[in-house]
Amino acid sequence: MDLKALGENLGLEEDEFIEIVEIFLDTAYADVQKLEDAYVSKDVQAASEAAHSLKGSAGNLGFMDIANLAAKLETEARKKIISSIQEAIPLFNTLLGLIKDKI
Amino acid sequence: MGPESTLSILVVDDNPLNVKLLETTLVKEGYSIHKAYNGPDARKIAADKKPDLILLDIQMPGESGFDVIKTLKNMAITASIPVIFLTGVSEIDAKLEGFELGAVDYITKPFHPLEVSARARLHLKLSIATNSLIRSQAEKLQQISDAQSAMLTTPDKYPDAKFGVHYLSLHEAGGDFYEVLPISDGIYGYFVADFSGHDLSTSYLTSSVKGLLKQNCSPIYQPLESIKMINDVLVEILPSGKYLTASYARLNRKTKQMKIICAGHPPVCYVPVVGEPRILEMDGDVIGIFKNVLFGQQTLTVNPGDRFYMYTDGLIESSDKKIVWSEGAGLMLAACTAAKGIPLADAPLHITRLLQPDSAALEDDIVIMAIEI
Repeated sequence: MDLKALGENLGLEEDEFIEIVEIFLDTAYADVQKLEDAYVSKDVQAASEAAHSLKGSAGNLGFMDIANLAAKLETEARKKIISSIQEAIPLFNTLLGLIKDKI
Repeated sequence: MGPESTLSILVVDDNPLNVKLLETTLVKEGYSIHKAYNGPDARKIAADKKPDLILLDIQMPGESGFDVIKTLKNMAITASIPVIFLTGVSEIDAKLEGFELGAVDYITKPFHPLEVSARARLHLKLSIATNSLIRSQAEKLQQISDAQSAMLTTPDKYPDAKFGVHYLSLHEAGGDFYEVLPISDGIYGYFVADFSGHDLSTSYLTSSVKGLLKQNCSPIYQPLESIKMINDVLVEILPSGKYLTASYARLNRKTKQMKIICAGHPPVCYVPVVGEPRILEMDGDVIGIFKNVLFGQQTLTVNPGDRFYMYTDGLIESSDKKIVWSEGAGLMLAACTAAKGIPLADAPLHITRLLQPDSAALEDDIVIMAIEI
């Protein structure tokens, strides 16, 4: 993952992009927490909203692994299926950790 | 707060990441940004600040984007502000409902910031053209009379524009003139021009051109578009046979981009801090004769300390020595290079003296402007 290239693709300088990635990490970790809570409380609506938010912000910055996984969870949650969330949470945390290490 | 011509955009999204991404991109393009993270704040800021454009997320908790636009379109004070929706790819119904409610366009998420800025520019243009025709006509008259009362812009008026100038008019109604335009925070336009002939109408026309510059050089128009629009108006109003040659440069200090337009004018000299000084040779038609014109255009990425020199032909043309400006540009570049260590304010006069030690021998008006990044 090349943060500089991802930033350039969006027309941003490296320092501008890093500032945005920091905001992304804050919102993404919050979304992952919401997913986890939704899974525990079996709230499909909340799961769908959290996955939608994560999909959008990751997709906008070009973190496609996260965006694709979140899209899958959103689609499933709309069909009232939330079982995949349990295994997705550690994967999200790993992927977000990789980004965190880069900045 | 930037210059009064700065256009403002209200960005509304409950996701702070999207707001920051749009803000970073749009600020660099010269817009001022207002931000709201929910519907009620968006409505309040729209009414208070009356932005020129609103980017509005549809899916927000509580009051949705639809609720917001319904209210805005029902209030006289905000009804004419164009609204662009931000929406998910699959939400076809949402897009249609958005148009129904009065949105001018939509952008699908995930969005690319540069696409958003291109669409923002387009809709600001359309909005200005359609909603403000009467107001802009009235302003135009006012601008022309303003321009007449303030003919020459001196460097102390816009210190952030970082330019120096030497101006000498040999004729009462000079054919040469220049202008420096604050376009937005960190963005300036620099214009050096020469009218054919020296009759009295020239000085009157100079004020008109300055009015047109003020009106058409704004962040939403690319420099080439600005000069083309000015050309189109001048084709209509100039007396037959009268024309203008000009160089127009627009410098964005935030993106470090310099765009230069050449309209039949002697080439700009570029003296970078690092690298070889060079002449920015370009072909380009003159302004005010043809409706379909081709102007030369170059975009350069610049660095702090780099200098550009724009000038009129009086300094390098001599009927006596039979020098025309195609040869004279080489002499000009040598003089500009020699002025490298001279302070910006003094460089234009220094170059004039290098090229023409005997000021009594001058045959024409002179403008030489130095711009430093």
